[in-house]
Amino acid sequence: MQFVTSGLVRAIVVVLLAFSLFVDGAGYVYRVVNHYPLTGPVPGLPPSFGGWPLYMHYGLDLKGGTDIQLQLTDFPPGQDRQSVQQRFIEVVQKRVNALGVSEPTVQPGGGGNHDRVEVQLPGVGTAQAVKLLGEKGKLVITRWVPDSSITAGPYPGFKPEITKMTSDMLTSASAGLNPQTGAGWVVNFQFNSEGAGIFNQLTTDAYNVCQSQGTSAAQCHVTNWLDLSPDDIAQWNTKGLDLYKSRDQGGKLISDPSIPNGAIPNGQGYIEGNFSQDSAKNLAILFNSGSIPVNFTLLSSYEVGASLGAQSIKLSVAAALLGLFVVIVFMVAFYRLPGLLASLALLSYAGVVLAVFKMVPVTLTLAGLAGFILSVGMAVDANVLIFERFKEEMRAGRTISAAVDAAVRRAWPAIRDSNTSTLITSLVLIFAAPIQVKGFAVTLAIGVIISLVTAIIITHNMLAIVLNFGWARTGGLLGVARGRA
Amino acid sequence: MAELSRPGVAAEEAAPPAVAAPTRRLDIIGRRNVFFLISLVIIIPGIVSMVANGFRLGIDFAGGNEFFLAFQNRPTQQQVEAAVAQEGVNGLVQQTGNGTFIIRTSQTDTAARERFKSDLEKKVGPIDTDNSRDDQVGATIAGETVRSAALAIVVASTLILLYLAFRFRKVQGGWRSGFQFGGSALLALLHDVFLLCGIFSILGTVFKLRIGEIDSLFLTAVLTVVGFSVHDTIVVFDRIRENMIVSSRLTFEQVVNLSIMQTAARSIITSFTVVLVLLSLLLFGGDTLKGFALALLIGIVSGAYSSIFNATPLLVVWRRLQPVRR
Repeated sequence: MQFVTSGLVRAIVVVLLAFSLFVDGAGYVYRVVNHYPLTGPVPGLPPSFGGWPLYMHYGLDLKGGTDIQLQLTDFPPGQDRQSVQQRFIEVVQKRVNALGVSEPTVQPGGGGNHDRVEVQLPGVGTAQAVKLLGEKGKLVITRWVPDSSITAGPYPGFKPEITKMTSDMLTSASAGLNPQTGAGWVVNFQFNSEGAGIFNQLTTDAYNVCQSQGTSAAQCHVTNWLDLSPDDIAQWNTKGLDLYKSRDQGGKLISDPSIPNGAIPNGQGYIEGNFSQDSAKNLAILFNSGSIPVNFTLLSSYEVGASLGAQSIKLSVAAALLGLFVVIVFMVAFYRLPGLLASLALLSYAGVVLAVFKMVPVTLTLAGLAGFILSVGMAVDANVLIFERFKEEMRAGRTISAAVDAAVRRAWPAIRDSNTSTLITSLVLIFAAPIQVKGFAVTLAIGVIISLVTAIIITHNMLAIVLNFGWARTGGLLGVARGRA
Repeated sequence: MAELSRPGVAAEEAAPPAVAAPTRRLDIIGRRNVFFLISLVIIIPGIVSMVANGFRLGIDFAGGNEFFLAFQNRPTQQQVEAAVAQEGVNGLVQQTGNGTFIIRTSQTDTAARERFKSDLEKKVGPIDTDNSRDDQVGATIAGETVRSAALAIVVASTLILLYLAFRFRKVQGGWRSGFQFGGSALLALLHDVFLLCGIFSILGTVFKLRIGEIDSLFLTAVLTVVGFSVHDTIVVFDRIRENMIVSSRLTFEQVVNLSIMQTAARSIITSFTVVLVLLSLLLFGGDTLKGFALALLIGIVSGAYSSIFNATPLLVVWRRLQPVRR
């Protein structure tokens, strides 16, 4: 493989550098003009070009937030697993969006089993995230039916019976102040016509019992639960009292109103349940987002405080800059003019890589940052191989230009093979590695590919151009014992 | 200049290597047994430790909970330990350099964890959530991480072996020779992986240091070392390949020795620059990256050593045991 220093290759290099300058330059000009911070997404219209974002995306370990892995279980029989997973994701997305989280991701996983979902919520704690996801969010409305085997529970002799009403019949739910008293938070709801019909029947029955037996009678009540299941009711004697507690106390009860004032015919009403503003809002979000179609368990969660992430960025960037500085000093001291040119190539390498990270976009994590820093080391290696070879060829008695060409050509197989093996490793990692390692593999792979281009083409071209000048062809500047033009 | 870049002029241009070679000569191949011995002396204690003690597992492999809690009122370790002990969750408490506490428990239930945290807040003091972390890993995920990591190492090694065999199939001896090159590189790679894992096993279990903990970042480091080790070995092998063509009068041992000498400067300089970058990461990169940087540092130094003192002598030994026609 030959890298001829042709006009075409030089044009490609110029385009590449202009591209990276444009990506970074445009992003920063936008930020400075609008007085936004220099990193991270900006509110409103973000710096972007034709839909490509022009800012660095940071992973949760760098910007803080919660990462949760969920395992879906008990798929409803007879339904396509993938569409169940998709429905799950939609519900979660609605809930997350209602919370106003910026840049959340909800991703399917589990391969062909379709039984995993990963949720990433920047700036949200685990407790809040779990509360948001932790409930299927199914509004269950029950009436009370007599059952002589029931000896315990809130109403001995009665157990709840789940009606046909579901949250899917809700057309809207919202949090608001109690419309009658003006104090205390309630959840307003509106059922569709089918729901309204059933609800009318339910409340009519309850109202009739209230009239004849008084409001303390079990059947005077229409009860609201969250996620009450038939299994729960089957064990009513033992679990009834616990389930009849509010959700804060570990139960499933939302409210248990009596219906003393007449039936509710239009499917419109509100739920009183000693809500705070937050709990009323959360309940409204749950109802609006629809119910989650499967059961799920938490496989892992990972939460990072925001300042801790910011500190990690600061330290890693400082370490990277220091490392880059030391390498440049070393290269210039050791290889003189070629070392200086290689350092310039290295800087343009860093520029191109960061620009690519912004455009793709690559989500930069701590491990990803490490992969980038490491790829800088590999970019240096390609230069070192060429320069060592250059010295050898000079010792063998070649002219300077012949030595440059021979050095690049002879060093190429070693550079190609070693970088290919690194590329193989990083590609295997991208596909097979645990999720924490993927970010590292992605940045390393991008880094290796770009370093091949910059080290060989840019260094070689710069050397060829600079060596056209007589002053550059001295042994002292080239770091070899003697120079021959 | 463009003219000189034409393919096919390599042979006529080739400089006589005997002239180009540095004057000082170290006979590395002749003393190969010494170098094998040095490697064994370093590796064997590590293997013994791995077999006897295993590793100090990080949270992503062990499963369970790990809190990194920063308290606003800077309590002492005893205060935190006392509070954790009352919870009865088998909590292990450690304090880091910047006053953050690392607490490991075995609970996996979210509600229980939140209760644990609020109990600690009551007994010790308010938690600075902005500076805290909280990892919880179930047993399923922990098992999967280990499995996919092992799979990644095996697949990557196999592919590298095949790639090298393919690249070196054109030297005398064809594919058989290609697999000798690839196999030697792979053995040197295993040397580096065992050495690195062994040292971390000793650090974590014998010295009980947190830096010796095996987590997914360590895994990343091992895989990087795999890449770097092969990287180094290929540079030497590539020179051997080239010298076998241009200096057919030399014996294989002589060619190998010559190639090591010619690439030594590059190996040392490259490893040195990478070590510079890693040192800055180790010293200034923050707590999370320290173990990672140390692992890479050990692995890269080992990789540079093994490519010169193990991979190439191994290649010579292999070629003796299984000669190819010249």
